[in-house]
Amino acid sequence: MKLYSLSVLYKGSTKANLLKAAYDLSSFSFFQRSSLQEFMTFTSALIVERSALGSRASVKEQEYLCHVYVRNDNLGGVVIADSEYPSRVCFTLLDKVLDEFSRQVNSVDWPSGSPATIQYTALDSHLAKYQNPREADAMTKVQAELDETKIILHNTMESLLERGEKLDDLVQKSEHLGNQSKAFYKTVSTLHAYGTQQQNMQFIKMSLLLYILKLH
Amino acid sequence: TVVTKQTAALKRMLNFNAPPLKNTTAEPVWKLLIYDRFGQDIISPLLSVKELRDMGITLHLLLHSDRDPIPDVPAIYFVMPTEENIDRICQDLRNQLYESYYLNFISAISRSKLEDIASAALAANAVNLVTKVFDQYLNFITLEDDMFILCNQNKEHISYHAINKPDIMDTDMDGIMDTIVDSLFCFFVTLGAVPIIRCPRGNAAEMVAVKLDKKLRENLRDARNSLFTGDTMGTGQFSFQRPLFVLADRNLDLATPLHHTWTYQALIHDVLDFHLNRVSVEESQGSEASPAGARPKKKNKKSYDLTAADKFWQKHKGSPFPEVAEAVQEELDTYRAQEDEVKRLKSIMGLEGEDDGAISMLSDNTAKLTSAVSSLPELLEKKRLIDLHTNVATAVLDHIKSRKLDVYFEYEEKLMSKSTLDKSLLDIISDPDAGTAEDKMRLFLIYYITSQQPPSEADLEQYKRALVDAGCDLSPLNYIKQWKAFTKMAATPANYGSSGVKPMGLFSRVMNTGSQFVMEGVKNLVLKQHNLPVTRILDNLMEMKSNPVSTLAIVFVVGGGNYIEYQNLVDYTKARQGKRVLYGCSELFNAAQFMKQLSQLGQK
Repeated sequence: MKLYSLSVLYKGSTKANLLKAAYDLSSFSFFQRSSLQEFMTFTSALIVERSALGSRASVKEQEYLCHVYVRNDNLGGVVIADSEYPSRVCFTLLDKVLDEFSRQVNSVDWPSGSPATIQYTALDSHLAKYQNPREADAMTKVQAELDETKIILHNTMESLLERGEKLDDLVQKSEHLGNQSKAFYKTVSTLHAYGTQQQNMQFIKMSLLLYILKLH
Repeated sequence: TVVTKQTAALKRMLNFNAPPLKNTTAEPVWKLLIYDRFGQDIISPLLSVKELRDMGITLHLLLHSDRDPIPDVPAIYFVMPTEENIDRICQDLRNQLYESYYLNFISAISRSKLEDIASAALAANAVNLVTKVFDQYLNFITLEDDMFILCNQNKEHISYHAINKPDIMDTDMDGIMDTIVDSLFCFFVTLGAVPIIRCPRGNAAEMVAVKLDKKLRENLRDARNSLFTGDTMGTGQFSFQRPLFVLADRNLDLATPLHHTWTYQALIHDVLDFHLNRVSVEESQGSEASPAGARPKKKNKKSYDLTAADKFWQKHKGSPFPEVAEAVQEELDTYRAQEDEVKRLKSIMGLEGEDDGAISMLSDNTAKLTSAVSSLPELLEKKRLIDLHTNVATAVLDHIKSRKLDVYFEYEEKLMSKSTLDKSLLDIISDPDAGTAEDKMRLFLIYYITSQQPPSEADLEQYKRALVDAGCDLSPLNYIKQWKAFTKMAATPANYGSSGVKPMGLFSRVMNTGSQFVMEGVKNLVLKQHNLPVTRILDNLMEMKSNPVSTLAIVFVVGGGNYIEYQNLVDYTKARQGKRVLYGCSELFNAAQFMKQLSQLGQK
């Protein structure tokens, strides 16, 4: 069982703002990691945007689960894990992280914050520790108040979208995805750079990311 | 060419690091050559044992072998600067094995290791015996005039599997990239040219490009010590025109390494045991039927070197197999005619039964006999090559017939060019007479890789069942599925072009009775030229106006390559006057070897 990412976001009126994130992509091949990281950020933001305040949900995509908790104060957290990882532990983790975050980072900084400006460094260690749920869970005081019936279950990413909305369009508009419109081939020159390159847009499909994760 | 430059560098090294004097009639100085396996792999495609002897090498030995002292002979070492090799050299110095030591390191030796040797020499009182120490920058293997690979030993360290496996740390990846870059740097030093580097983004090829660029810059910065000035630059086209160096990543095209092929060299590499230009075949047993129930005769394994001097090979290594079969038949017929002529002359002279040696010692006045005699060595060599290619082509043909490789080739070409298919994939997979389990898996993977949409769950299950029934290992499929999903993120999937495979008429020559090759049932397929993905990239880059015009381009595939890709580039270049293209790859694998790596990557 594995955890892949842990992120803290602010749910703004129109979009979600990434405040801090930690990733563990070591089980993927080296050169896939940076693209997958971008996707996880995109997915986390999308899920937070489409979740109501004060809600918890798990978005299932075959063998993967994205667990989200958005608090009433607009602070949200997302964990992306494989299907073996116990979801209850994910929600415990989210509670704990958001609680700690809200105490360490002034809420006035949330709406405009970014990973570069936010001073919160515990995410990486939380992610690492919780790779082993048994050990991590034993050390926390489990809040028995977690009412599991209130956790919304989505069977696919598509169910988060509005009628007529397409994942492709969202991908295109997203700022979380790298600038994919640069040349497919770039020049690395020892003496001086050479001019224009070919245009090659890379269209990245969200569902395909999750498809990859499913197959991994 | 790279061959001439690397060979020249080796010859200079073997001449005690001095340019060999031309037209010298003096006997070469006798010397020993001591190499490690890396050095052996570099030398063997370029210099034959005879050529080594012509340069005065009386004995060539492996570094890590038991060697007796030969105190009055100089020794030339050609080894990698590894810890164990350095230790052994120091030991040799202490044991006072040779008269003098010429130490040549395949890639640059570090300062600290150099100091180790110096201390050992000092301790052994042998400092004055270490006559020369050179960094040769020859850490790559040239197989053809226009093809090179990085290494043969330890190639698992930089294999496709090593680069693409999960759970790899940054430091490991750095190590792999540094190894690749070291060889590429040596290549450009030997070539004597600083390239213009173009690479794709977001993969291993980019990382190699960036590191190589850095290494070249660092070297050029120090003008006095730069390796790119002086006599290595030389005159000629390279001194004022920079070659285009195109890096490609294997992940751009996984179908070509699995493809069944139809050209001679690529077929040999696919179905026989072929590496570093040496092929091993089992001796064909001829056409005598063995009595039923008899134990099959033990087959001998014979090895042949396929060299630049073999004219038949040079002419036909890229030819479609039916053409090769016809050409061998033609050579055989011509040879037999010449042999008959010699026999006839022998009988005229009353020399029937005499051996050729006796005949050649005659100084006779018959012009015909003289010419026949003088062409005997040539004839014998010709016969040797005909036998070689007969054996090799027969071995290849056996595979083609028993596995129905023509069927696989044709079907895959159709898959790759999105032409209409005349039979169902499932039929081929389920056919017990067509191909080995591995052939079927290759075909299925190509289907999967080239299909626009992945097959439905139901269809996939059906295919998987058929493959398992045929004895296939499905683990490569796990990896390919994940690779395909990730690759789909790019807008332009690998384009295999529209190939056409046309069946030609019946074979003429080889269909005659008494022909060496029985091609019945084998389709006479001819390839229409089309560009494979790597060739397309080169083509695009060369067509772009923003790229400076370069007469030389080097295409290098990070993650491994094969002869099919190489041949495709050769064919592309033939149609372009004045352009030269070299092909290189981090390792050379055939489909079986590549599948093994895919299988490892697909294990859960």
